[in-house]
Amino acid sequence: MLNWLDQRTGALTQMKEFLTEDVPGGASYWYAFGSATVFAMILQIATGIFLCFYYAPSTATAWESTKFLIEKVPAGHFVLSLHYWGASAMIAFMTMHLLQVLLWGAYKKPRELQWIVGVLLFIVTLVLGLTGYLLPWDLDALLASKVAIDIAGNAPVAGPAVQQFLQDGTTIGTLTINRFFGLHVWLMPALLVLLVGAHLSIFRWNGPAGPPIDEAPKLKPGRFWPEQLFMDTILSFVLFVIVLALAAFSPVPLDDKADPNNVTFVAYPAWYFLALYALLDTVGKLPSSIGQVASLFATIVGPTLLVVLLVVLPFIDRNPSRRLSRRPWVLAITALVMLGAIGFSWIGQSNVVEGQLRAGIIGPNAVVAASSPASTSSAATTTGGATSDGGASTAAAGASVYTANCSGCHGATGVGAPGAFPPLAGNPVVVGDPNAVIKIVSGGLNGSITVKGAKFNGTMPAWKGTLSNAQIASVITYIRSTWGNSASAVTEAQVAAQAK
Amino acid sequence: MAHAEAYKDPGSPEEQTRRTFMANAVVALGGVIGLTIAVPLVWSLLPAAEASSTGGSPLTPEEAAALKKATDKSPVRVTFNLHETNGYFGATDTEQFVWAVAATEAQMRQERPELFTTEKPTYPVVNMGFVIFSPICPHLGCRYAWNQAQDKFLCPCHGSVYDIFGKHEAGPALRGLDPLPLKDYQGKVEVTWIEYQTNTPQLVIQQIG
Repeated sequence: MLNWLDQRTGALTQMKEFLTEDVPGGASYWYAFGSATVFAMILQIATGIFLCFYYAPSTATAWESTKFLIEKVPAGHFVLSLHYWGASAMIAFMTMHLLQVLLWGAYKKPRELQWIVGVLLFIVTLVLGLTGYLLPWDLDALLASKVAIDIAGNAPVAGPAVQQFLQDGTTIGTLTINRFFGLHVWLMPALLVLLVGAHLSIFRWNGPAGPPIDEAPKLKPGRFWPEQLFMDTILSFVLFVIVLALAAFSPVPLDDKADPNNVTFVAYPAWYFLALYALLDTVGKLPSSIGQVASLFATIVGPTLLVVLLVVLPFIDRNPSRRLSRRPWVLAITALVMLGAIGFSWIGQSNVVEGQLRAGIIGPNAVVAASSPASTSSAATTTGGATSDGGASTAAAGASVYTANCSGCHGATGVGAPGAFPPLAGNPVVVGDPNAVIKIVSGGLNGSITVKGAKFNGTMPAWKGTLSNAQIASVITYIRSTWGNSASAVTEAQVAAQAK
Repeated sequence: MAHAEAYKDPGSPEEQTRRTFMANAVVALGGVIGLTIAVPLVWSLLPAAEASSTGGSPLTPEEAAALKKATDKSPVRVTFNLHETNGYFGATDTEQFVWAVAATEAQMRQERPELFTTEKPTYPVVNMGFVIFSPICPHLGCRYAWNQAQDKFLCPCHGSVYDIFGKHEAGPALRGLDPLPLKDYQGKVEVTWIEYQTNTPQLVIQQIG
């Protein structure tokens, strides 16, 4: 059977050829980071495909379908979390791979192009991280992407054109989500797979570089299969267990729906952009006379120079020696960049925490739940036209929620329907304990009930999930203060407290 | 093979045992990883079994009045709002329609005897003097329409033909049109939406919405 297959496709022969490879000086875990990165890529493609079964890119559906995936789809939150942490793992392991190749001097002649393809892979992966960040369309997605797009827009010469291209227009909107979706799901993954193919093909042409000594080719060779592949598998397995544990114990959060008018939410970048975030923050403290130039350097010129430096490195560092002791400059610059990245990431993380303290999201002055200030104003966008007054739920906002969701059964004037849906006007439960009303609106009601002597047996759906806490609060405030009813307003915090 | 120096010497028996272990470990760990990923991925694709049944869909007074204009010579297409759960859109009102025909039970017993014997639905076929037909052709799910000139329900897809009482007269369908429940619920006329499996001679419920 296998023989039959091999005669017609050469599958086994080619596989054997591919796996039969010398590893100068023997296999090493140091060489396994590249393979582990490929494994992370496969994990991302597999989970990404499954996310596509549920995700719908548009301002009306991106956040909603993500929420549906998290709350309603079996294992949906877990698959999304695998994808989220898989992205982090891919970038972390890719960085390790890059550093290893850099320190080993493996980019040197004849492997210059292999190195350049690797740098391109690094950029494509970061673009994947950036474009994927927007897709859930929550507050953080919008703000982080807005900042990234605006930075691109400030680039010299091509900036405005790039910004318009990324946004597909002059503002971030539903077309931007589609554009990022196309980039994240089709163009970038296709590029990634093609470039990985090129990277591996060139790798096979040149063979592994071996340890960072000048006599590496003369070392006794080890075997790629199964010795190196065993170590590759072990490291991939370690990566997998870490991602699995993070997905299980720290599932990806979804903030409230994106709302450009929300001013209390503190955006935080993905950890791999924390250093750039802090750099931008730091240059922002410089005097304004040099501030603009400095920020241009921090956001555009600096990162571009770094990429250019990586690309031209094999052509600058032409000394054939790969010994660490003969390459002090490369070592010094690498150490400097890494220290800078770690240091600025640290500063960036503290800035986020500071910002959250200032906004009262965490710490002693925290208002309510972390997401509460956000959801009040997000209600304004989802109810269509109703404006938020920044905290208290308004009966006016509630009226539009009521018309859209409740009037079908309970009637436009709260009279209900005999036998099925109880009246709300003059209903003692409605004007009674607010917590009882919150419970019914949030969690729904089944079975027969009696209101003022009449029986009703219609089904009240649970609105939690469909309506935000703010919307539930505002609609309850509305029904408690209309049609002759006169009871206290309900706040979003009360609804949030019940939801726990 | 240019890069296969290491493979010329098979090495000591210990080395060979070690390599066998490594090869097995690669396959085993690969299998563990693959299975661990496959389980949640496949699980996430299981269709949501959301029971969205809320019983009947009430007709508005105008829709109910339109229904009552149906005769046993000329059916009426009655539209109404079907309240259903639609993925991440949540509760959604979808406009649906059914066909109403005025009929007595005696008429239906004569025209569609199977609905009272072998293919008896769990609800009465005739209610309030009307029989309600699902608009879905029992052949393969297209929507048929009433042709007044020919006095028949005709399906545009594959040419199934039914008379006004839903009796299958020609074309590939395996059964007549499917009756749906109609009831007077506390002063309101209600239609219950049921989808039956197509292309079977029996009535097999697929979904009650």
